[in-house]
Amino acid sequence: MSILSLRGLRKNFGATEIIRGVDLGIETGEKHAIIGPNGAGKSTLFHLISGKYAPSAGAIEFKGKSLANLPPHHINRLGIARSFQVTNIFPRLSVFENIRCALLWPSGYHYSFWRLLDREAGLNRETEQVLEKIGLAGRAKIPAGEIAYSEQRALELGMAIAGGAELILLDEPVAGMSHSEADHAVDLIRRVTEGKTLIMVEHDMNIVFELADRISVLVYGEVIASGAPAEIRANTQVQEAYLGEALSDA
Amino acid sequence: MKTLAAKWGLWGGYLAVLLLLPQVFDSILAISIFNQMAIAIVFALSYNMLLGQGGMLSFGHAVYFGLGGFLAVHVLRLMEFEAMYFSIALIPLIGGLTGLLAGIFVGSFSTRKAGTVFAMISLGIGELVAASSLIFTGFFGGEAGVSGDRTFGPPLFGMDFFSDTDVYYLAVFWVFVSTLFMYLFTRTPAGRMANAVRDNPERAEFIGYSARWVRFISFCAAGTFAGVAGGLFALNYEFVTDENLNLVTSGRVLLMAYIGGLGFFIGPIIGAIILTLMNFLLSNYTELFLLYLGILFVLTVLFLPRGFAGFIMMHQAAWLRGRLHGLALPYLLTGLPALLFILSAVCLLELSHASEPVLHFLGLSLARDSALSWAGLVLGAGLGAFLTARSTPGLRRAWEAANAPETRGGRERAS
Repeated sequence: MSILSLRGLRKNFGATEIIRGVDLGIETGEKHAIIGPNGAGKSTLFHLISGKYAPSAGAIEFKGKSLANLPPHHINRLGIARSFQVTNIFPRLSVFENIRCALLWPSGYHYSFWRLLDREAGLNRETEQVLEKIGLAGRAKIPAGEIAYSEQRALELGMAIAGGAELILLDEPVAGMSHSEADHAVDLIRRVTEGKTLIMVEHDMNIVFELADRISVLVYGEVIASGAPAEIRANTQVQEAYLGEALSDA
Repeated sequence: MKTLAAKWGLWGGYLAVLLLLPQVFDSILAISIFNQMAIAIVFALSYNMLLGQGGMLSFGHAVYFGLGGFLAVHVLRLMEFEAMYFSIALIPLIGGLTGLLAGIFVGSFSTRKAGTVFAMISLGIGELVAASSLIFTGFFGGEAGVSGDRTFGPPLFGMDFFSDTDVYYLAVFWVFVSTLFMYLFTRTPAGRMANAVRDNPERAEFIGYSARWVRFISFCAAGTFAGVAGGLFALNYEFVTDENLNLVTSGRVLLMAYIGGLGFFIGPIIGAIILTLMNFLLSNYTELFLLYLGILFVLTVLFLPRGFAGFIMMHQAAWLRGRLHGLALPYLLTGLPALLFILSAVCLLELSHASEPVLHFLGLSLARDSALSWAGLVLGAGLGAFLTARSTPGLRRAWEAANAPETRGGRERAS
């Protein structure tokens, strides 16, 4: 069953059309990568799914429910969490607080101002478990703005998975990392997204082929191919448009 | 367990200081200053819920303070004319409820965005309410304001509120409770998310929170406590005017919070104490009070961007390593010339402003027409500035030495 389906999705900014009719179904539990050249509209697609932008036309359905015109926080509450291409954390809060904040809404704390966080043993234990998982337990007390870049990326990932969302969107999770850091991040992503549906945008083909069960190629706002990694590798249209160039780079 | 004990000790100490102050300084003047401080502390802390914790720069926070004060003084009048039976002790609650209602109304549209939009709306509302207070004279009393009498309520624990000391003890209760609740608020989900939204409203949206709702809750809480402060003001002065809700008062609370330090819970308390003391100490002796206040603010923004609380906390690392004593002499070597410069500059300002031919100031007799006075002061200022500049590199070296990471055994922070 499709957990997420995009139908005839379009987005234009003024006269410029960035997403030009995307139809895509994501199966529950699948690890789906979206690749494509710069400016193809990959991040825009994420912004549409997560509610940062409203679509100009077309439909987005999550578990059969339309996401049209829902603000980002509503979409998140339905079970879609995301990370960002540019590190997007709470820099003045500690690493621990960052994760705890990400756990608050899904744990049912909502806007309560009559409960003291430090007394919520279950919540704090859960926060520590997430920190263990992403390898930042030793950094818990440091302001998030002061830890190393690759650690911030891990924190970003931790915030996306902390709430137990069913669908995780990762926007270039290993961008800007060294090879060893990226390898480490791939392991981490595989571990923390186990049993969840994952959609990721990524430039690094090695990582895409390592993580994804299915790949969609987005070129100038259209999906030109979608299929298993081997199919995508063999697709001549894809090779012409994008992949050959990217593979020879890698 | 140790930190828990320290926490209880801190709050116990706070309460003890509040309760013991009038025993140590028992003059009528001192009590009146303590009352001002008490009001200022609650007001400044409530302001920091917006700016320091929620990232909302408000230029109109006096609206909630003033409206709370007006409602409170009207209740006092109703009690006086026996139209209403109410306890004096709960007057600040009237102020708080008024602040809450005003906060709900204004917050419903002003918290949509933070940043410039929020600041401009707060300025507009501040101006609008201040102007209205001079138009709707039935409620606000026009320029004369509204006065009441706090002595008509039923006595409370033998206090009849004829003296300011009675008001002080009532204020202590409200200050302590307000401080405690405002502190506890920072530890709740809503309070912590206020920090998160301040840091990054977009990210907050993607972890399930509406940034607007988070701001709205902080805004209402800030309005409530500003109203409590307004109610205390009405009790203390028995008199509220348009000045209590205009932009001057809004500006002053911003200064208090900023000079004290926005990033620390205790900052606004320090700021409220410093500004109240300055107001008392200086405004009686000099007409240039506002000029000095302005200079202090500019210097704080330039050199102590984290306020006085930040300045104190800067020394934590050196203190934990037991190296604070190494800073004493360098501080003295820089501080004394700086003091000379400041005093000379103050004398120069006062002398150029003096209306009498001879100015008696700081134990000096300075003649306005004497070239010697001017030359001496300019020399003092120049010498002070020169020596301060000369000694700062030494201070910087001492600072770096005191804060240098330990060579062995210590865990360093990644930068």
